[in-house]
Amino acid sequence: MELDFLYDNITILDGAMGTVLQQRGLPPGGKPELLNFTDPDLLCSIYREYIGAGSQIVCANTFGASAPKLAGTGRTVDEVVSAAVAIAKDAAAGTDVKVTLDMGPLGELLEPLGTLPFEQAYEYFKEVAVAGEKAGADLVSIETMTDLYEAKAALLAVKENTKLPVFVTMSFEQSGRTFTGCTIPSMARTLEGLGADAIGLNCSLGPDLLAPLLRELCENTRLPVIAKPNAGLPDPATGTYDMGPEEFVQALLPCLDAGVTIFGGCCGTSPDYIRALSKALEGRMPAPRVYRSTGFVCSAMTPCRLDGVRVIGERINPTGKKRFQQALLEHDLDYILDVAVQQEDAGADILDVNVGHPGVDEAAMLPLVVKRLQSAVPLPLQLDSTNADALEAGLRVYNGKAAVNSVNGEQAVLDRILPIVKKYGASVVGLCLDENGIPQTAEGRVAIARRILDAALSCGIPAEDVWIDCLTLTVSAQQEQAAETLKAVRMVREELGLQVVLGVSNISFGLPNRAAVTRSFLTQAMAAGLTLPIVNPNQREIMDAVAAFKVLSGEDAGSRDYIARFAGAAPAPSTSAGVGSNLTLEDAIARGLEGDAGRLAREALQSQDELSLVERRLIPALDRVGADYEAGRAFLPQLLSAAQAAQSVFEVIKTSIAEKGGAPVKKGRFVIATVKGDIHDIGKNIVRTVMENYGYDAVDLGRDVPPEAILDTVREQNIPLVGLSALMTTTLPAMEDTIKLLHTLEKPPVIFVGGAVVTPEYAAQMGADHYAKDARQSVDIARKVFGA
Amino acid sequence: MKLELSEPLRYLGVRGSPDPALLEELSAVADKLTRSVTPRYVWRVFPLTHRAEGQALEGAGLTLAGSMAKRMLAECSQAVLLACTLGAGFEVLLRSEQARSMARAAMLDACGSAWAEAGCDSAGEEIAVRFPGRYLTDRFSPGYGDLPLAAQKDICAILDAPRRLGVQVTDSFLMNPSKSVTAVIGLSDRPQPARIRGCGFCNLREACQYRKGGNICGA
Repeated sequence: MELDFLYDNITILDGAMGTVLQQRGLPPGGKPELLNFTDPDLLCSIYREYIGAGSQIVCANTFGASAPKLAGTGRTVDEVVSAAVAIAKDAAAGTDVKVTLDMGPLGELLEPLGTLPFEQAYEYFKEVAVAGEKAGADLVSIETMTDLYEAKAALLAVKENTKLPVFVTMSFEQSGRTFTGCTIPSMARTLEGLGADAIGLNCSLGPDLLAPLLRELCENTRLPVIAKPNAGLPDPATGTYDMGPEEFVQALLPCLDAGVTIFGGCCGTSPDYIRALSKALEGRMPAPRVYRSTGFVCSAMTPCRLDGVRVIGERINPTGKKRFQQALLEHDLDYILDVAVQQEDAGADILDVNVGHPGVDEAAMLPLVVKRLQSAVPLPLQLDSTNADALEAGLRVYNGKAAVNSVNGEQAVLDRILPIVKKYGASVVGLCLDENGIPQTAEGRVAIARRILDAALSCGIPAEDVWIDCLTLTVSAQQEQAAETLKAVRMVREELGLQVVLGVSNISFGLPNRAAVTRSFLTQAMAAGLTLPIVNPNQREIMDAVAAFKVLSGEDAGSRDYIARFAGAAPAPSTSAGVGSNLTLEDAIARGLEGDAGRLAREALQSQDELSLVERRLIPALDRVGADYEAGRAFLPQLLSAAQAAQSVFEVIKTSIAEKGGAPVKKGRFVIATVKGDIHDIGKNIVRTVMENYGYDAVDLGRDVPPEAILDTVREQNIPLVGLSALMTTTLPAMEDTIKLLHTLEKPPVIFVGGAVVTPEYAAQMGADHYAKDARQSVDIARKVFGA
Repeated sequence: MKLELSEPLRYLGVRGSPDPALLEELSAVADKLTRSVTPRYVWRVFPLTHRAEGQALEGAGLTLAGSMAKRMLAECSQAVLLACTLGAGFEVLLRSEQARSMARAAMLDACGSAWAEAGCDSAGEEIAVRFPGRYLTDRFSPGYGDLPLAAQKDICAILDAPRRLGVQVTDSFLMNPSKSVTAVIGLSDRPQPARIRGCGFCNLREACQYRKGGNICGA
């Protein structure tokens, strides 16, 4: 297929297949893919109608031809795809009409929303794409996606396994977001970066409501843009759509002026709509496009346009942090998540992620950390590594458009890293140094920046995705270099027009009152043109300086953000309640005062060792709350608040032990999991939180966990206690299977079960050792097992 | 749409007059939820035929077997299928809250359940307005009485809920996103009595802490 054609001409697609089939007798909820075998003539005649109406590309009847959607039909992906493509090709024979392989969502939600791993989704799409190319499809259309992550899996699968051009369209709500929260700019920049050939919107809304979204899309991509709206909205009383062909076309025409060049229809449309569309668009030419080429990174939910100062948080980095290093070695991803959440709450825009440490397999760890962070933190990430394998693994599983930190002017480094950056559509930080070291003059650094830019451009990476780090040197060691760095910042900004990065904190190393020097340098650097300071956002004065700068530069219009930042600046009650009073550690825990509990624990460690702090103070305090809970004087939220305050005490203890290099306090390990088929896990997480804060060490296998995975973990780690949760009557059998399997062990663990539908009677019937009605009872069971 | 705090309090097992600090925090959580997440729903009405094998929704390819559907729809000539969800936005909020505070996450989870029910109530009001002169039965859902959970999957397929709401039903008939509801409402020419009252209609009757304590929750 000639892709240039798509830029210079108007292209007409087809309309709905499902709607037309339902008009001809397919019941709602039926599987249209089976018609490829049972009624090929019907499909063929519908294609001919579309072709007669002016369609230049028709969709093979493969929207649901993926393995998960075909499960139970008795048909394989290959069978369905080859039959479907053959029918469409047959209908198009003797014309210039192209046949596109239609790939819809898999019908299972991907992690973290669902349980389908990204890698498995990729395999499913790969199977469809390979079958489609083999069957002779001319291109691929990935359609009706609402999860950018699923769209990415599909796009990668097509790009890596076929030579076919690929269109990607997603479904948005009127709010400008998809069901999973993806924004238009996030979609546009991510899919263009990953190499889609055209992108657009289909389904969900009529052309009138889709038009403003299409306009926004056109501003955010250089690619040809596709519009396939529904024929308005469906009437719930009849199921029919409310727009006729003429009304549909009239509402769609403004999209041409916005820059859309590829038109078709989705639900509710028919050959009549396409005929009206072809007629209205006959002889029309594409409108000029205006692309907003500012720098950009994003997650699916959070676009980050680089049109001002954006703060990169530096705290996810093990260098010089014993507690962080320990978390990495123990795969304690929750600790890393906690560091991320703190920076988000402090106002960081982007998070740098560095997990390089001796003893850590970076290529395995980085994707795990990326997934864990993206499950709960919406900020875009900057993957910080020199390891090409780790970067590729991290970028692959990243949902959105990431940044890579970093390359430098050394040719070998550029050759190794830039192709990966290009493939995944990331932005890249280039450090102004090379094999000869750091140039001592601003001019020398800018020359390297220029070289990095040229290398990126020749690799196909646009200038807006190249960020230059002009390098901060320690002022106490090389005093004259501070001025050179500032000069280089100014030159890169003015001469090359690129984003400028600086790791700001370095400047004050070795000096007293570092914050004053750091803040002053930061302010001067922003004035010189620094756009992406890498800082510790948890330092209030640093973020204050950024907020103040945005007022002075005019970026913070009307000083609105600045005023909001300092409005009601009274400290939060949870950390202040005890200050100055004679609050005890026990009270702080009972009242869920996290900040105070941590502070009092640090004080207590002056006169008490870690173990006795846990045994003599923490546990009795938790027991007090537990007793109130059982007596109906305290309720679940209070129990959990106390557990959380206890967690802050544990954090103090862990840090103290890590600094001394001692062995962590561990009273016993237990496995906890939500059984196979069960995907809702808040109950399990509640039990885990409370048990952990009694000092038990959780091996949390997550949700939808197969019995075998639980068995393997118990066997390999020799774990004496297992907690299982099930929410639905339909998953009780999986719970029973798990118990049976664990009982095949020579020395089975003690098993306790709980969850909405579990009763003491079921528990006994299934062979569980204990029924736990809540988190509190789970702790009692653990005490029996571990004797403490 | 309004979120009544009495519902989440009940889900959290709070009895008596709650601690003011708890109430304040719950109210803040509820505000955050209702500001950022709006329940979305789709419904469709079908003619109903009473057959020996069950209540047949004509044109939907669905027959609701069992005594629950029979009793609820006895005087109805049409039935509405309804799906309502808080969507993935709620899941994101819940995960984010779990990373910060498990206590607030538990509160958010409870508020979410109540908020999804409020969405169903709102759909019910819309249906009532759309069919003046018709009377609605109580809303009932797969899992109530003998209406099988499996019907959840059929209802979602008929309403095209994966595409129109982003709701998926797993092989074990769990809905994802978690705060999603499917339901059936009958339409009749005669006023319909309240039939769904008491523990017999509740999914949680076996494990309910209230019931075990000899109480009822009042729903």
